[in-house]
Amino acid sequence: MDQQLYGYGLYIISLLTMGGIYAILTLGLNVQWGFTGLFNAGIAGFFGIGAYTAAILTTSPHTSHLGGFELPYVVAAIAAMLISGIIAFGVGKVCLKLRSDYLAIATIGIAEIFRLILKNETDITNGPRGISQIPKPFENLPEPWNQLAFLGLVLGTLLLVYVMLEVARKSPWGRVMTAIRDNETSARAAGKNVETFRMEGFVIGCMIMALAGAFMAHYLKFIDPNATDPLLATFIVFVMLVVGGSANNKGAILGAFVIWTLWSASEILTTQLPSELAIRTAYIRIFIIGLVLQFFLQKFPQGILPETRPSSPGKNKS
Amino acid sequence: MNEFINFYLIPGLVLGSIYALGAIGITMTFGILRFANFAHGETMTLGVYFTWSLVQFTDIHPLLLLPVSMVLTVGCVLLIDRGFYKPLRNSPTIILVIASFGLMLMVRSVVQFFWGVQLKTVLPGIQMPIVWFDYLRLSPKHIYIIGGALVLMYAVHYLLTYTKIGKAMRAMSDSPELARLTGIDTEKVVRTTWIVGATLACAAGVFLAVDTQVDTMMGFNLLLPMFAAAILGGVGKPYGAMAGGLIIGIAEEISTYPWLGDLWQFNPGYKQAIAFFIMIIMLLWRPTGLFRGKSF
Amino acid sequence: MKIVRKLALSACVAAMFATAAHADAIKVGSAGGVTGPIAELVATIIKGRDLARDQINAAGGLLNGDTLEMVVGDSACDPKASVDAVGKLVNVEQVVGIVGPSCSGATNAAVQAVTIPAGVVVLSDSATAPSVTELKDNDTVFRVAPSDAYQGLAIAKLISKAGIKKVAMTYSNDDYNAGIAAVFEREFKAMGGEVTANQAHEPKKASYRSELQTLTAGGPEAIAIFAYYGSSGITIIKNSLENGLFSKFYAADGMFDQSVIDQIGADNLKGKISITQASSDTGDSSYQAFADAFKATGADPAAPYAAHGYDATFMMALAIEKAGSADRAKIKDGLRAISNGTGEIVRPGEWAKAKKLIADGTAINYEGASGSADFDENGDVSGVFAVNVVGDDGKWTKALLK
Repeated sequence: MDQQLYGYGLYIISLLTMGGIYAILTLGLNVQWGFTGLFNAGIAGFFGIGAYTAAILTTSPHTSHLGGFELPYVVAAIAAMLISGIIAFGVGKVCLKLRSDYLAIATIGIAEIFRLILKNETDITNGPRGISQIPKPFENLPEPWNQLAFLGLVLGTLLLVYVMLEVARKSPWGRVMTAIRDNETSARAAGKNVETFRMEGFVIGCMIMALAGAFMAHYLKFIDPNATDPLLATFIVFVMLVVGGSANNKGAILGAFVIWTLWSASEILTTQLPSELAIRTAYIRIFIIGLVLQFFLQKFPQGILPETRPSSPGKNKS
Repeated sequence: MNEFINFYLIPGLVLGSIYALGAIGITMTFGILRFANFAHGETMTLGVYFTWSLVQFTDIHPLLLLPVSMVLTVGCVLLIDRGFYKPLRNSPTIILVIASFGLMLMVRSVVQFFWGVQLKTVLPGIQMPIVWFDYLRLSPKHIYIIGGALVLMYAVHYLLTYTKIGKAMRAMSDSPELARLTGIDTEKVVRTTWIVGATLACAAGVFLAVDTQVDTMMGFNLLLPMFAAAILGGVGKPYGAMAGGLIIGIAEEISTYPWLGDLWQFNPGYKQAIAFFIMIIMLLWRPTGLFRGKSF
Repeated sequence: MKIVRKLALSACVAAMFATAAHADAIKVGSAGGVTGPIAELVATIIKGRDLARDQINAAGGLLNGDTLEMVVGDSACDPKASVDAVGKLVNVEQVVGIVGPSCSGATNAAVQAVTIPAGVVVLSDSATAPSVTELKDNDTVFRVAPSDAYQGLAIAKLISKAGIKKVAMTYSNDDYNAGIAAVFEREFKAMGGEVTANQAHEPKKASYRSELQTLTAGGPEAIAIFAYYGSSGITIIKNSLENGLFSKFYAADGMFDQSVIDQIGADNLKGKISITQASSDTGDSSYQAFADAFKATGADPAAPYAAHGYDATFMMALAIEKAGSADRAKIKDGLRAISNGTGEIVRPGEWAKAKKLIADGTAINYEGASGSADFDENGDVSGVFAVNVVGDDGKWTKALLK
């Protein structure tokens, strides 16, 4: 029974770690969609860029892919964010003037192109075989301390990103963003350069997504183009944000943990069934997540934690 | 030249016809319901699996069973609209798009649950093509596909030009407020849009299944090229979607032709990206598409 | 809003109590890509595993009559899902060992992130990437599927021996097929053969006519196809035959399935196609024993890696039996002891016999349906291969490759 409790403990640590990484990802989406009103359906692409950059920069030399730099984790993470930011800038220049659903289609297309590049440029990425033996912070510690320490790193980074985004949200910059999202014409009339603000929101969001990707690469110690799969890397993040509450950073984090727990724990229920049924019910998990999403879209489009607007300085609190 | 026509152009036409049929549904949904329907691919998948079951029961050629599976597919799509899109009719576009994303996954998992993921076929065996004039190689099923697509496209044209409901649809696509003012029953137009879209999608799916095989991911794999076709042709313009579909289908297939001989060859791994490249170029150069559809 | 959260939490708690209910079963993880790109292959592989489980439970079960329970975990052929699924198997279900996962990528992630730190043995039935050999795994990672390095070589030898010098090749751009293709190209060229064209293709496309047409450049005598039958293999053969582009096909075991004959027709394939497959080297009796039993359940024994799934499960059970207890730490020694080339031979279906031999202390050597399954120092198996062609009876006929 001791072993079982210890096992549950490890499982909860893994839930929180994945949940934490997804929370960082959802915060990135929140910057783009919640605050700036940009429907980026290409999350998986930027996530993948971050993951591969971190992998390439931290692994030892290997014949199958570009690597051997063996840089420290922090350097690799920052590099991942920078590269993602630069690519986001390029993509933004092309796509940001598009209306919402056009932007969705365009960004999905871009994510697909990234995936094909990752698959086909085998000299750099080892193609579909992926990059393995990615180093992981604290991995030399004995169990469970290695998992706990890594979790601490993820949660610490999550906190840092959250604080920075909250500061940004309450700042004048943040207010302009929501103003643009809600009424672009008025914002323009007030003299704000809408394109620049949109670009900033897009780039920052993509940089945060890349950071999440880097963490994922270290956590899994392996990355391949399947990591940019639309289901687990894009759609589920939208569900997390809608359910948690878009335009609310706490909501984004909450949604990430709730939906990831729901997703992971639902498999425990299906594995109680005999194998023959368990295989078929694997598809039902996806159905349930979709149904949860529809439910929220119809009944609680604001999500669990609705948006809270910062009050203007000098105004009475209503 | 012989090879170019037989192995690049004709497959491109077949693929393009399938894209075109699917894209018409997408562009009409875009124009009239005003959102990008990500679940459209799964409508095709549904149509195919209904057909497969019918073939199992009746042993009739799948193309002859099309009318029946069309009815079944339309029924499902109308139910989906009732349950999931109608409540969101007045919500912002984004919400509808996300809902359709979710429905895409839900419909696919239902298909996988009931029919399983084993590969299936509606037309076993290989069909040797007929050689015409010692030059053209055309397999009968390709003739059916291209022919069937032309018939259906003409039917859409007839509907839009000569029927009352078709004119109402065009009116609503151009300006919903004015349409309502002239007393058009918008819900009826919406229903008709779904019916036409689902019918065409079912046909497209079955054509594809007849040409290849039956697989639960087949609708999704076609989705993005169909979107590209709709955008290329101009959103809200069915004729644009037809042209767009054909162009993208042909472009994809002829991309691997050794245009420069041995010098350089397009990596077929990127074939899928052709549709996106074309789409992105359109969005940059002429966002309203070839036929000047909706702008934004 | 809070209701959703409460529901989710209570579901988790309920599940955790439910897992404690099976007290006298010994659990082994059955990880595989149940959803994902090779779902149809995995469904049959799991059937293979379950056949072993059913035979074992019917013939006395494990240790003191405990039932063997195979707990399914969906690795989805994706590293994230795999780490999550295997993590649950190890921590929540407390499995003694794990059979699977199916994809090399999923295996790489799951073992590095979960099972190596936890010291749980993983025996994969279909992960073939050479990168798995290189892992520093404290001897906890094994596989019954030979590394691509062997199969690529076997196909190259097969084609060379047939006197064919010029070959075109195409591979599906996924981890499994890209791997074998790379080895094949290297080995075939080393034997003096010429690869006139080599192209990757994306799976699940409607037509490969244009790629195939381009591949005919240079006058190849045959085409080597590295693909899964469902996602592109059958389409490629169909397109080639219908248009007279190629008439000789060589392929690796991802192509080996009854549906190839069903969908294309035996007459269209006779004399034209050769598919390699890992095989047992003590003749056919091991494979036959498995095939007969598997057919009786209504499944196709030819399906890729179904035999490996059976073997992996059987061997994991033998290891537990040999170790004498459901103790994770003893499994790796148990695995090595039951299949190292020396000892009395035990074949598929002979659980009762094996149980008795182990109880008497006799050394045993398992010869599986998929191959001899003798592990080397890295936990890999070498490959003895057979080639399958369409026989006169319209069915797959197998012959060992020398």
